[in-house]
Amino acid sequence: MDLVWDNGLFLLKGAYYTLLVTVVSMFFGLLIGMAVALARLKGNLPLRWLARAYVSVIRGTPAFVQILIVYYGLVDYGITLGPLTAACVALSINVGAYLSETFRGAILAVPKGQTEAAYATGMTSWQALRRIVFPQAARVAIAPMGNTFIGMLKETSLVSVITVTELLRSAQLLVAQYYVYMPFYLGVAVMYWVMSTVFSAILGMIENRLSKAY
Amino acid sequence: MIRTNGLSKAFQSVEVLKNIDLQVAANEIVILLGPSGSGKSTLLRCLNGLEEPSAGSVELNGIRIEPAMTKKQKLSNFREIRRQTGMVFQQFNLYPHKTALGNVIESLLVVKKMAKAEAVKTGEQLLERVGLADKRDAYPSRLSGGQQQRVAIARALAMKPAVMLFDEPTSALDPELVGEVLDVMRQLAKEGMTMVVVTHEMKFARQAANRIVFMDGGVIVEEGSPERFFTEPQTERARKFLNQLGEH
Repeated sequence: MDLVWDNGLFLLKGAYYTLLVTVVSMFFGLLIGMAVALARLKGNLPLRWLARAYVSVIRGTPAFVQILIVYYGLVDYGITLGPLTAACVALSINVGAYLSETFRGAILAVPKGQTEAAYATGMTSWQALRRIVFPQAARVAIAPMGNTFIGMLKETSLVSVITVTELLRSAQLLVAQYYVYMPFYLGVAVMYWVMSTVFSAILGMIENRLSKAY
Repeated sequence: MIRTNGLSKAFQSVEVLKNIDLQVAANEIVILLGPSGSGKSTLLRCLNGLEEPSAGSVELNGIRIEPAMTKKQKLSNFREIRRQTGMVFQQFNLYPHKTALGNVIESLLVVKKMAKAEAVKTGEQLLERVGLADKRDAYPSRLSGGQQQRVAIARALAMKPAVMLFDEPTSALDPELVGEVLDVMRQLAKEGMTMVVVTHEMKFARQAANRIVFMDGGVIVEEGSPERFFTEPQTERARKFLNQLGEH
């Protein structure tokens, strides 16, 4: 166990990259998810079709394969991304598909009468979405979004294969150096667990605040 | 003020409104009566563009909507019409995430871009007018159905509409709460508001209406003064409708 403590800083640095990839991917995933949800609900036919295809392909293929395609595959087309960038791009695209379904469901869960009331008082469809539908949809979306977020945190371990030295790869490097497995893998397991627990707590607080509003 | 010309509305192949010619003058209170499924609510919703007419035109204060227009034209005209009409729904449709005051001033802030302080002042006056000044900070979930509907009326009035449309405003209310909503509507009528009301409250219709429009099967079957409609209906269908009501 001392080995873990001695290499604590190295592991913490790995944890930092895990967090970085999670937060960055989640951020862009949110933007993608929002845009795709709106495209599916409000877009014209080709746009809706495109959005559906995107969701279908991403959800129907393993994240692992997507990461490999972005990092190794795109090189064939002259697109060379650094490991960290490739990781964030692949995971943003991945999580965006799942989040778009969450958002779409949440928006559809807001009764139609809400939009009609907003229209009836002269709002444009964008104003009605932003002021009336989104705040109510957010309440519905927050719990599944939290699950996606925590799933994402753990999914980042996949990017260890493209040499991003996040938490899991830090452990693997230490294993290779010291030839002991259990302490390092247990150590990172605990660190993942601590991070997910902290996120859960934060999300729980947000959920509480949102539901207190009315 | 309002004029529809040969207005028809079909959902898929079902024709809900057939060739409706309706005119409403300023300060007039027109009450739409008829059995359920007769097209009253659809007609009301066509007047402010919540339903788009399949054929014929709708006109309010000179702003016209007709099927020949481009989508963009229709959208902007509908928006203009909606700014001049207030709508009250059967299910209230208050915004659950806003307080009573928040509901009333939302469109003042968003659509009219009014300054917050001014909007709040206007909103408080409107809540006062529907007798709910003390519920200013209450969320809809804390209000009774009657109170919610009065807030909804205040919200519709906030935009200073030229016409108020009421779509069965008391049908979702417990019987003992109907009166407070009708009182507010009577008050509005007294103040000279132009109103088109779909309702099943016959006593209210008889007292408040300037004109009754009786619909059945998507057409206007009969129209006239409430006096005449209730005492000597001209058509068999109207007679039957009134008889059925009398039996309860």
